[in-house]
Amino acid sequence: MARQVLGSLLAAAAIVAIAIVVVTAKLGPTSSAELKAREERLELRIEQQEEAREAQEETRERD
Amino acid sequence: MEDLVETLTRGNPTEVKVVLASVALALGCYQLLLIAVGYGKLRPGFLGARAASFSHRAVGDALAIVLVVVAVVCLTLFELEDDTVAHVVCGSALLAVLALKVFVVRVTRGSSRALPPLGLAVFVLLALTWATSAGQFLGAV
Repeated sequence: MARQVLGSLLAAAAIVAIAIVVVTAKLGPTSSAELKAREERLELRIEQQEEAREAQEETRERD
Repeated sequence: MEDLVETLTRGNPTEVKVVLASVALALGCYQLLLIAVGYGKLRPGFLGARAASFSHRAVGDALAIVLVVVAVVCLTLFELEDDTVAHVVCGSALLAVLALKVFVVRVTRGSSRALPPLGLAVFVLLALTWATSAGQFLGAV
């Protein structure tokens, strides 16, 4: 039984390795998807910063 | 937490999340095969039912950790938007059903009749969660 368990766990490890290789190959080293996601995150941060500034200004005006 | 995730992923949290989610889906498919052998639905000569069930449990433990890591990355870096509602619903349901399955396994020591439908529900929700995020990112859906 130990050999069967070891074999099935090695098969799982092989599946993990294959999945990583396939998906990484699909993404590419500098994929456009990566750049797009970075741009989206950057835009989101800028929006959040602007919202925070506006909230601070509103608070100051009230005071 | 956000900085920690960014550092660990070297500024590529989305890509790391996609890879981890895809690994989880691949292991989920393998889990279906293992438990089919465990329940005697498949009878390959090279793998017995007890060994398959043991491996199913071991791989499931690792899979649960991967799913929690992906969920933490999601919650840390991404926000709820109109086009991500389906992903958030499926992901939340996935973690809830997975927690319920783990609880049932612990309480009944793996003998409950609820486990097969719970396992299938986990797999379906995992596939839907992947399809609504990583699948779209990879252009596979």
